Amino acid sequence: MIAVRIMSPEGEERFRNYIHNLRADPSTLRPDLNEEPFSSEFSPRVLIDETNVLSSKMRLAEYLQECFKRAGLRREDVFGRRGLWTWLAYIWFDQLAPIKSNTGMRAITEDAKYICSSDYRDYYRHLVAGPYMIYSLHGPDNSRIFLYNPVYEHNDFIEQFASRQFIISHRNIVEAISWLYLNPVNNEPRRGAQSRNRPGNIRRFVRLIQQFELTYDVYTMSPDQILDLLPAEFNEWRPGR
Amino acid sequence: MKRTFNYTGRQKIKRERISINFIRVNGSVVSFALDRLDLDDLNLPSNARVYVEAYYRTELKRFDFGTVSNRSNPPSCDLTDLAYSENLKFRVIVVDTASGKILAHADGISPEASAERKSILPVEFKDLGNEIWRVEYEGDGQAPILCINNRITNIQNIASQDSQFLIYVYPAVIREILTHMVFVDNVDSTTEPSTDWHGDWLRFIRQLRVEPPETLNKENDNFDNERSLQWINRAVEAFCNTHSTKFQEYLQRLQEEKQ
Repeated sequence: MIAVRIMSPEGEERFRNYIHNLRADPSTLRPDLNEEPFSSEFSPRVLIDETNVLSSKMRLAEYLQECFKRAGLRREDVFGRRGLWTWLAYIWFDQLAPIKSNTGMRAITEDAKYICSSDYRDYYRHLVAGPYMIYSLHGPDNSRIFLYNPVYEHNDFIEQFASRQFIISHRNIVEAISWLYLNPVNNEPRRGAQSRNRPGNIRRFVRLIQQFELTYDVYTMSPDQILDLLPAEFNEWRPGR
Repeated sequence: MKRTFNYTGRQKIKRERISINFIRVNGSVVSFALDRLDLDDLNLPSNARVYVEAYYRTELKRFDFGTVSNRSNPPSCDLTDLAYSENLKFRVIVVDTASGKILAHADGISPEASAERKSILPVEFKDLGNEIWRVEYEGDGQAPILCINNRITNIQNIASQDSQFLIYVYPAVIREILTHMVFVDNVDSTTEPSTDWHGDWLRFIRQLRVEPPETLNKENDNFDNERSLQWINRAVEAFCNTHSTKFQEYLQRLQEEKQ
């Protein structure tokens, strides 16, 4: 077990350099950033198991929720603490950027997946902060559609929905999204939902909700009422079709 | 040129018709006050509902301010359960409840700049010997300052984040300050007191939906010791109720530790 820390700007810079160097040289050694001035212990003390195998985004979010709850922390106490999320990505980096068996290289993507951005347009992309943010807002049932895949992979549901403040902050819209696109048998997205061409795909849903937002008081609508506003192209996705 | 569509005829409520202010304790945002909302001349139906939403990024909380013709404050304007409270923006919408359509709106409202940085209880960390905290009346106009002992390790983080600290210390601080106001200072008016910080604290307590008695002026014939003490108790109780989640979390932690 290790006590959670907050990454300082100096630590963030070192971590960023490490990620950049890894892209060119997979043998780059990871710097030790678990000491001052690169990081400082988070208060109140939160213990996590850095060796915990995080089998999915859902498992990651559940685990963090348990740890924070044990420490008496609420989501609003940890949201926006960029250094915390960056440090967590640092400590779990082997799982967030695993070595690919076919190339022996790490699967590293953009910096914002590991270094938590202050820009709201990137914040949700962080591989630790993003899943926790969704889970803590919407609970296990309505988070499944976003958190079904491995911790190291981003997905289109997070990209399309979590990036839009109006959508991700409305529980009823998120519930409607789950009703439409989650396959309850395997708790994964229904096939074709992410297709750009199929009628009633997730991009069409976003576009229509953005129109409804201007006209209707969506906040007071039930998920059923939101689905009722959708045109016929969504019929094949409706629950109980 | 940016083009927008407005097929439903919803009206825009101009910014100058609205005044929203943050209420702060210990420098942190705890709630807000809708000090002004002028819907006159907009020809809105009298029974349309008025809502104010606080939002930022993933955070969203709605407050019901009654109807156009019968405006009322919600039971609480608490913002402590929202993250990024310093960055919150506000949206005012007027809704036709029958059709669910938005009739008028104002978006992206920031709290008034003048009130934005004003804290009614500044905090100072200093050596207090063996005391944990103390209220000193050495601010502007002998306004209260909460002094916290800097000999305690990590006290700045504890004071700003620890729920246990909040539920133990702040109710006692509020009781002490209100008692000082009434029984040591003397509040010459409950509506327009001559001491600025008295006005700030009366406003804060009103935000907790606790109205003062007829007078808090000891020199007034109608001054009532008992009623004044009751007002202080109700204010402390309302503050604790506003932070009931912190209290419940603390109880749960105690139970878990016991098991």
